Amino acid sequence: MKLLKYALFRLLQAIPVLIGISIITFLLANLGPGDPVSLMLQGQEHDEELVRAIEQRYGLDKPLHERYVTYMAGLLQGDFGQSIYYQRPVSDLMMDRIGPTLLLVLSAYAFALVTAIPLGVVAANRRNEPTDHLSRIVALVGVSTPSFWIGIVLILIFAVKLGWLPSSGLVYPWRPPDAYRGIDGHLELFQQTIRHLLLPMIALGTLQMATIMRVERTQMIESLQGEYVKLARAYGVPERTILRKHAFQVAQLPIITIVGLNLSTALGGAVLTETVFNINGMGLLFVNAIQRNDYQLVMGVTIVLGTLFVIGVIITDISYAYVDPRVTYGESE
Amino acid sequence: MSSEPLLRVENLKTQFFTETGTVRAVDGISFEVYEGEIVGLVGESGAGKSVASMSLLRLVESPGEIVDGEITYKGETIFGLEEGPDGDLRERDDVLSNEEIRTRIRGNEIAVIFQDPMESLNPVFTVGGQLREFIELNRGLSEDEARLEAVDMLREVGIPDPEKRYDEYPHQFSGGMRQRVLIAMALACEPSLIIADEPTTALDVTVEGQIIDLVDELQQKYGTSFIWVTHDLGVVAEICDRVNVMYLGEIVEQAPVDELFYDTKHPYTDALLDSIPRPDRTVEDLEPIEGVMPEAINPPSGCRFHPRCPDAREVCRRVHPENRRVAFAGDEPHRAACVKHDAFDVGYDESVPIDPEPELMADAGSASADGGEDRE
Repeated sequence: MKLLKYALFRLLQAIPVLIGISIITFLLANLGPGDPVSLMLQGQEHDEELVRAIEQRYGLDKPLHERYVTYMAGLLQGDFGQSIYYQRPVSDLMMDRIGPTLLLVLSAYAFALVTAIPLGVVAANRRNEPTDHLSRIVALVGVSTPSFWIGIVLILIFAVKLGWLPSSGLVYPWRPPDAYRGIDGHLELFQQTIRHLLLPMIALGTLQMATIMRVERTQMIESLQGEYVKLARAYGVPERTILRKHAFQVAQLPIITIVGLNLSTALGGAVLTETVFNINGMGLLFVNAIQRNDYQLVMGVTIVLGTLFVIGVIITDISYAYVDPRVTYGESE
Repeated sequence: MSSEPLLRVENLKTQFFTETGTVRAVDGISFEVYEGEIVGLVGESGAGKSVASMSLLRLVESPGEIVDGEITYKGETIFGLEEGPDGDLRERDDVLSNEEIRTRIRGNEIAVIFQDPMESLNPVFTVGGQLREFIELNRGLSEDEARLEAVDMLREVGIPDPEKRYDEYPHQFSGGMRQRVLIAMALACEPSLIIADEPTTALDVTVEGQIIDLVDELQQKYGTSFIWVTHDLGVVAEICDRVNVMYLGEIVEQAPVDELFYDTKHPYTDALLDSIPRPDRTVEDLEPIEGVMPEAINPPSGCRFHPRCPDAREVCRRVHPENRRVAFAGDEPHRAACVKHDAFDVGYDESVPIDPEPELMADAGSASADGGEDRE
């Protein structure tokens, strides 16, 4: 009950943040250099009248604050406006593209957590032994290598040289190509999804893995030196149980924070990764929108990514409160 | 008092192998604990009290190691060495294996209560859950039985509304309440010996009094033996039957509690007693012990206390006194490690008195700064 109240409270707190995001995005998109109308008319014969007609059609002739209010009123009804380049509603475009991005980001996190947590624990448990040194090198390389570079190298090795995995595109399980329809196609579809996902997942997940692993190691070392671990040892608790339960549970709390806050780097990384692997996600849509000065689309994508990040942080906070009994729920207890 | 002690420690040596040198944290101590008694282990910070008590459970943390001596508990060997065929010391065959120590000794035979109740409980598990886990493990009870036992034990140590508090987390308990939980943990495992490592140091004085009364009461009820590690002679006077005074890894005086206070045999114990505030003396009368305890990497020659000892004579620099019987209290020996007693006969009376040596203490001080970690 308390947790539910806390969750609601945090959601309410997000409203001003989201309004802030919308204002900044709107201002940047509208005050930035480049003029969508002239871009639209590039290479065409045009006169003042046509320009004015287009401005009128998109509401560009109104003053800025009025345009913002109109835009926000639309947003509240789920209307992100019309893409100038695609001539389709921005919301439709994003609906098509958000799936691949979420799939990519979530699988990158899954990859990072599944590899980083055991590695961090082992490194902490075998401190200053070869395993620990190896993990340190992996982490250092992981943190200092940009995801697009990892992506390119992975493509060169596994797609170009070895030819094991495809170099671009994704297969979406929720929108299977015709070849994989039917019951027999399920397994094949799953395999194809994994095969396509593997390289971009590693490219995007490596940075997260490296960060999480180092934090996990530090936290485990600290936790293993805790008095409660000494106490558990003194009461004959097996070393394995201490590692997996007593020390482990305490050490996971900061990991939740890292995962939540790194969502911004992960979403940013997704933009690059999608470009490298030619995945039709939000990132690629975003890059194209910027290049084409499709300001409605730019605003829409920015607001959606910003909202995703805010939601991520709220989920972090709530799960932290759920996992750590010491966190109070914002009110005085 | 039965003739066979519950625990016998003989010439125990525990050392830490650090980069700056070998820290002789515990350097040849011997003592016994009999059934149903509370034995005090007293000394300043860094005297080796905690290391000594952790050695009894073979829980010395790296780079520390028990290097010599013998620990026997109820006829079983916790630690012991013998000379191998090649002349090197090796562990004896009858020494309990790590697994045996863990399953048969830790918790169910010898339990501990640590100094800091704030840190000793795991913050992410409920108090009851932690208690239940140790009971399950050490008494082989089922989960439900252990739960009942845990609630009973919480009630026993004076925690109000134990059924409700069982499901609460450590941060919802006060310091005194947490220490009660730790006492409940120790007693619930039904050990024969409890090591209480400065259990009241982190508590304020009124709570300290309550905890000591509680332990006194429960000790009589359950007949458990205690090793009470403390730096506070006031607590010792209140609770202990026999006392071991430690200085720089050695036991310098060993006596029944009344005997220690009324017929003190070692100048260090004397000095400790003089430094306790008492209602019949003003603060100006307090006599703190001069200097600081040197680091155990390079202990002073001869008697380790001689640089700070008001009774020191030239001979104290040369002769290292073993802990010897210097008097009897009833049929119990009173032991002290000081050459001024006749039992030593090394020419103390003829020797020239020496002044305390501040330069030696200063050296020791800088050594301790380099030494890094505090072993206590």
